[in-house]
Amino acid sequence: MSNYKSVTVNKGSHGWGGPLVIQPTDEKPYVISVTGGGIDPVAQKIADLTGAKVVDSFENPIPKEQTFAAVINCGGTARSGVYPKMKIPTINTVAITPAGPLAKYIKEDIFVSGVDSSNVDAGGEALEKDTSEESEPQKQDTAAATVTNNSGSSKKEETGFLKLIDVVGKVAGDFVNTFYQAGRDTIDTLIKNVLPFMAFVATLVGIINYSGIGKVLANILSPLAGNIVGLVILSIICALPFLSPILGPAGVIAAVVGTLIGQQIGTGVVPMYLALPALFAIDAQAGCDFIPVALTLGEAEPDTITSGTPAMLFSRLLTAPIAVLIAYGFSFMLR
Amino acid sequence: MDYLTTAASAFIGLFKAGGKVFMGYMTDIIPLLITAINALVSFIGEDRVNRFMSKLTKFTLLRYTLLPILGVFFFTNPMCYTAGRFLPEKYKPAYVDSCVSFLHPVTGLFPHANSAELFVFLGIASGFSKAGGDQTKLAMLYALTGIVVILIRGIVTERFSMFFFKRNGNTNILNQEMDVNDLKKTNAKEA
Repeated sequence: MSNYKSVTVNKGSHGWGGPLVIQPTDEKPYVISVTGGGIDPVAQKIADLTGAKVVDSFENPIPKEQTFAAVINCGGTARSGVYPKMKIPTINTVAITPAGPLAKYIKEDIFVSGVDSSNVDAGGEALEKDTSEESEPQKQDTAAATVTNNSGSSKKEETGFLKLIDVVGKVAGDFVNTFYQAGRDTIDTLIKNVLPFMAFVATLVGIINYSGIGKVLANILSPLAGNIVGLVILSIICALPFLSPILGPAGVIAAVVGTLIGQQIGTGVVPMYLALPALFAIDAQAGCDFIPVALTLGEAEPDTITSGTPAMLFSRLLTAPIAVLIAYGFSFMLR
Repeated sequence: MDYLTTAASAFIGLFKAGGKVFMGYMTDIIPLLITAINALVSFIGEDRVNRFMSKLTKFTLLRYTLLPILGVFFFTNPMCYTAGRFLPEKYKPAYVDSCVSFLHPVTGLFPHANSAELFVFLGIASGFSKAGGDQTKLAMLYALTGIVVILIRGIVTERFSMFFFKRNGNTNILNQEMDVNDLKKTNAKEA
């Protein structure tokens, strides 16, 4: 233990998980702020209280091995799971509950959400509790291991015919289990990701249709979405390097704009064949909020992230309108 | 009193309209998210896909088409980015760009790959089919155009990253060549 102090991070209102007790060490001296707009106040406060260094992961990425905590502002599901998966304590300033493909890594002992700087307190010594909790499952694991070993040795004594039955049973079991697990995964993502979004979009569409806002929006949107020049402009706006990281998270903005344009196509205000270029116009910012995290997942070095992030942001400015034009070229097949 | 009743029923009507749209989605979309593809992916297995992918990285054409397509199809969002580890450092940003750009075009045909962000496609597609269009055709064209777009994005971003590597003096990254077949299996398992 060096001169670093520990802090306790509690969940905020409507938040989930925690409380986390975190402390930097000599090997892991950094708290990173992966929030896309400078250093988050929460990260700053953690750094102030612990004596650790705080860095903006977008500007100055550091290896995950040197990170003792990550502060994120992810309303979606991807980033919230990535850092817990890498065993880095994760503090989300947005109040979310575990969901998405990485939900199984988002546990109370490594993730806390809805946090603002008032939820960060100095001190805390839950470290001992953590270790005792860890040792218990280990014991269970070894117990389970011995059980399987026993059953394994008893199988060896079986005769050839019984072995065949055993093999057939095992294969059939694997087959059934795989499908069963796949079904479970599907229903899981359905309930946690798809249905909530459906409910949100459905309500939005219902309100727009019923209230007559739709007609007002049509007047605003149709000059932009109703012809190819407007769509190219829309794609360039979405790809502006200072806007794209803000528009990106979880595809929500793309989905909302897409739904609005879809409405206009449905009513015939926007020609049908523009559906394809429109799909690319609303998507110019896809993933721009996620570049450092995606690169970290691909085990990129910090230098790669420093150069790669602006490379991708500026490249979008060029490729976004090109994508819309290519889609426009393909759209003759829809006429 | 009448005035109040009208106001109340108008208010409830807002949400009833939402409910109607929601039920439409339930019957139209959810059957698409069948379990079969999830099962197929786990039958083929991650190891086999990893081994195949590591062989694709040498050719620009495959690096920004087949590699992201396989990554997105088999590992889905967000684990598809982990395939970036098969590439030398200098190609990683370009791979990320082409990978992330395929995450929405894929959803029309294979919603399992990014089910959380289905609505980017569905918002427009539902309007398209309402106007009398064939949604499957739109999905096909979305994926096909997507493949062309990710190839262009990959190549353009590759150029841009070379420029930024040079400007920031990361010559070690530029000169780094990696024989992908040297990748140890432990490396793959770790991720």
